[in-house]
Amino acid sequence: MRQEIKIALRYLLSSKLQTGLLIGGVGIGVLVFSFMTALINGLTQFQIEQTVGSIAHVTVEPREREPRIIKADPSVQLLAAVLRDNTQREQIRPWQMALDTITADPSVRVAVPVISGNGLVTRGQAVQPVTITGVKPEQLSEVAAIAPAIVNGSATLDLDGVIIGARLAKKLSVSDGQTLVIRSDRGRERSVKVRGVFSIGIETLDERVVYMNFKSSKALLDLDNGISRIDVKLTDLNAAPALAEKFGAATGLKSTSWTEKNKRLFDAIQGQGSTGSLIKFFAIVTIVIGVSSALLLTTVRRKPEIGIMRSMGVSKTFITRVFILQGAAVGLLGALAGSAAAYAFCSLVYQVARRPDGTQLVPVDPAQGAYLFGILLATAASALAAILPARAAAHIDPVEAISQ
Amino acid sequence: MSNDSRQPLLSVANLTKTYVQGDVASPVLKGISFDVYPGEFVAMLGPSGSGKSTLLSILGTLLRPTSGHFFMLGHDLTVADEDELTQFRNRNIGFVFQYHHLLPDFTALENVMFPAVAAGLMQEEEAEHRAAKLLTRVGLGNRLDYKATKLSGGQKQRVAVARALMNKPALILADEPTGNLDRVSAHQVMELLGEINAESQTTFLISTHDAEIARRCQRRITVIDGRIASTEAASIGSEGMVTA
Repeated sequence: MRQEIKIALRYLLSSKLQTGLLIGGVGIGVLVFSFMTALINGLTQFQIEQTVGSIAHVTVEPREREPRIIKADPSVQLLAAVLRDNTQREQIRPWQMALDTITADPSVRVAVPVISGNGLVTRGQAVQPVTITGVKPEQLSEVAAIAPAIVNGSATLDLDGVIIGARLAKKLSVSDGQTLVIRSDRGRERSVKVRGVFSIGIETLDERVVYMNFKSSKALLDLDNGISRIDVKLTDLNAAPALAEKFGAATGLKSTSWTEKNKRLFDAIQGQGSTGSLIKFFAIVTIVIGVSSALLLTTVRRKPEIGIMRSMGVSKTFITRVFILQGAAVGLLGALAGSAAAYAFCSLVYQVARRPDGTQLVPVDPAQGAYLFGILLATAASALAAILPARAAAHIDPVEAISQ
Repeated sequence: MSNDSRQPLLSVANLTKTYVQGDVASPVLKGISFDVYPGEFVAMLGPSGSGKSTLLSILGTLLRPTSGHFFMLGHDLTVADEDELTQFRNRNIGFVFQYHHLLPDFTALENVMFPAVAAGLMQEEEAEHRAAKLLTRVGLGNRLDYKATKLSGGQKQRVAVARALMNKPALILADEPTGNLDRVSAHQVMELLGEINAESQTTFLISTHDAEIARRCQRRITVIDGRIASTEAASIGSEGMVTA
């Protein structure tokens, strides 16, 4: 193999301009590949963080109760409408056992019991419908990314405190420290103080959600022994569908993954990934075509030399290896250069392309450029691209080549 | 020279070659038979288009004949497969062409070493030693590390001769080896081939249409229109050179 490597390198070095252009071409292909990977992954992460950061990865809720249908006479065609059973309140009770079962799974980062219900908030003559979410103060950040979104006050949930969205605060003309009255759909009422105002940027959250202390909300929503749901955060987002199924089976409760609850977002992310894959595919195809055509030209140019090698008893395998090694060398060097350029470019975009508030304009993530994969793929693709020229070179007729 | 008691190195029997293009068949060799014995220095004469180069290509196992047989070192090379021929060529046949066909990116030393190291016949160190010795023998001991492109025409052809000798072949086929050289260089190269033949008993079959070169050979085979027109032995001249 040493001789093959020697000849391959000599061939590449003897046409420095062609080799440089070839390496540059592969480099640009890999640059596009890695930049697109960093961009698509960054964008996906950004979208997931924006959405999933504020919601549970798996939500475990009570099953909807359905009335049992009495077995009908088989000779009679049954016409039935399934009506929801409203005779009992939907809640998880007892909930500690279900929570322990879920928490015991190593894939679970945290499982949070949540009280949820509807109510009205009043201040003076202003009345606004809201969703009351009761959580333990120390688990608030696990249920929603509230703390970084606080624009007024703080993210503290004492027994008398609530945290409300900025749009709701504006409609009620309240701010940190002011008092509100909350009335639940169970008819209970409580006077609370605004401890913090958040602005997440999602209209429904900023206008409709009121975060409340777990204990206070239990009393307000009349759920002394039960809870409304368990919000589960996982170590791996992608494992959510499988784990939702697992938790459902283990607890007998209704368990839904974030992908199911946000199907449109999930489809959009998948579509975005497919588009990225298509662009990356074309980047690799460009590399293959570029390397293959340049090496075919080399084959034509080196025809007499290849002919003389064959006349000296050099095997076809030897010639094939020389050309495949050239392809692999060009691929490796181009990929290394392209990956380095992609990392530098991604880092530059990451640092420079920002809005005045410091958020990213282009959500590229330099750490997610799949550089090693890009290098291996481009090298393998270039080596494969060399097969056609290598075969052409190995099948050169030495008599014809020498007589040129 | 009587060779009746010796085994021929190369034995050609009724060899034909016809090129077919579409419906047109062009016979180039029309039944060639001759023997070449070990240590012989043979000229193959004939005008352009007579079939000399085609015959040399067939004998060098680069081209397959249409019919007939030829044997070398006891092997029927018309029935061998391509891999066998490639290996046989590497070990037993050396080529010197009209154009040197050196690898331009390699030095003189690397060019000469190439047939041995590419086929794995010798370790690099051993090959380097032999190549240096051969280059010194052809008068280029001071040009070992010169790139092929930096050598003159005559020097390049001498490197090609050294390369042909690298694997100690039984037969060297030379196709118009001085065709691209000036008179002085041509003379030097022919002198060199003659000396190597005398020193190592390497067999040479030299295709030429230069009567002067042919006069230096022990035997002359004349090919005209794809057939052997004559085979003529030469006598040794007063200076030890072969003369007509």
